[in-house]
Amino acid sequence: MSIVVEHLNKSFGSGVTAVRDLSFAAAPGKVTGFLGPNGAGKTTTLRCLLGLVAPTSGAATIDGVRYQEISNPINVVGASLEASGFHPARTARNHLRMIASGARIGDTRVGEVLNTVGLTAAADRKVGGYSLGMRQRLALGVALLGDPKVLILDEPANGLDPEGISWLRSFLRDQAAAGVSVLVSSHVLSEVQQTVDDVIIIRSGSLVYQGSLHSLTEDGLPEVTVRGPNIGQLSIPGDWSLRESEPGEVVVTGATLEAVGRAAFEQSFELHELSSKAPDLEALFLGLTAEEAATTDGSQS
Amino acid sequence: MISLIRSEFRKVFSTKLLFILIISAAAFALLQVFLLIFVTPPGLEEANQLMNPQYVKTITASAGSASIFLLILGIVAMSGEYRNQTITSTFLVTPVRWKVIVAKMATFAILAFFIAILLWLIVSITAMLLLTTQDSAPFEWSGALEILGGTVLGLVLYGILGVAIGSLITSQVAAIIIALIWFLIVESLLSVFFDTFANWLPGGALNAILQTNGNPEAIDADLLSVPVGALVLIGYAAVFAIAAAFFTTKRDIT
Repeated sequence: MSIVVEHLNKSFGSGVTAVRDLSFAAAPGKVTGFLGPNGAGKTTTLRCLLGLVAPTSGAATIDGVRYQEISNPINVVGASLEASGFHPARTARNHLRMIASGARIGDTRVGEVLNTVGLTAAADRKVGGYSLGMRQRLALGVALLGDPKVLILDEPANGLDPEGISWLRSFLRDQAAAGVSVLVSSHVLSEVQQTVDDVIIIRSGSLVYQGSLHSLTEDGLPEVTVRGPNIGQLSIPGDWSLRESEPGEVVVTGATLEAVGRAAFEQSFELHELSSKAPDLEALFLGLTAEEAATTDGSQS
Repeated sequence: MISLIRSEFRKVFSTKLLFILIISAAAFALLQVFLLIFVTPPGLEEANQLMNPQYVKTITASAGSASIFLLILGIVAMSGEYRNQTITSTFLVTPVRWKVIVAKMATFAILAFFIAILLWLIVSITAMLLLTTQDSAPFEWSGALEILGGTVLGLVLYGILGVAIGSLITSQVAAIIIALIWFLIVESLLSVFFDTFANWLPGGALNAILQTNGNPEAIDADLLSVPVGALVLIGYAAVFAIAAAFFTTKRDIT
């Protein structure tokens, strides 16, 4: 089942435009990262997908239908939105049981889910005493109750400890391997970098990039390190840039490894090293999302 | 719908709210009984005659005047979902939102039914026991029974009204304050200055079905008749319920 957003727009009553003409798709069997800085419109988009927020125009559908049209939707779509959606005096088990009964899911499933997210030992404690990480696990447990084919998770790694993040990674990979469409939002690329197949990057409610993480890095030209005697005198075309990182070593940007090698060969330099390093993803992400940040209006996240 | 109501019952019974409000309502009703028997007993000079039937009704109506606690219960339960953001999970499970409103109203109507009978029993038995300590004619159960229907209807409709108010005013504190100001201050003032008009308000309609305005001497209290009072109160509950379903469906849950 794919998640499809088409020409989605959402303005709130206060004149704030949170999402502008956003279109993207997330495919089954893949983990799709939904990235953007805080306030870019990620949460609003996810809430439109889940029927909690009505789009101003455009459509957000799951397997071709709106969330409200799915009968017993939590058996199809599992979602975790914010970590704070719990009554503090209710236990985790009771929270899950309350949701399970509304969706006609048996209580045995509640025990299974608590076990999956590692909360069995704390299941009968009040959620008010939970850490942020435990609340995230409980929210994930809610998403899993109906054993859904689509998972929509808003910032699920927020508040998890390193062990939790690594657990989440393998969990999401397993889900995708089982054919589940996973859409996972984050404002930190490195959090999802090792997990996602595709990424959707938005800024101020608009799409800036959709595609595989791999081709995102290919679009960016590498940093080429060249080492050799007198290499500082290498002359380059105007659209490249060169800086001397240490005596006998320069870093060239704006060109491929092959182009830099050819230039050095044509100018008859003796080389001791010619190597390239992929551009820093985080820097690339920041570059994509920070541009024009000064002109961004106060969109809601 | 059955599964939604079961879910609502699980919500109610997994927190202490219900028990706190039942205890408060019982304490409130009993306090009124004590006041009516020990502080402002009417017609003691006729004590050895037949008991004034209006006196029994007024005492028993103390159970029905605890309706305000059902109103608070409904408000707290509904607006609490917004306060704790459990409304998000609730609407993810049931995206057709009016069903949630109906399930919650049904749940509190069922609870109110049993709470009403419980309070009526507590109040009537306490009154019966206390009156034996007074130089008074025995407690007349027939008078108390006449108030049972009104007590049940009053608590049920106020519970429904509470859920409706809690979904119209989702800020819990604001909803409680507005409701209390309306029912305890505005309606009381209106009933002093415009009593005929005030009879048609929710509080006036509640008095009509409880057959008392709280004054045991006022046998011929100028209230709506019981059936008209019931219809007026049902009308308020229905209008507020429809408005609650309508605005809840329109609302963005952010």
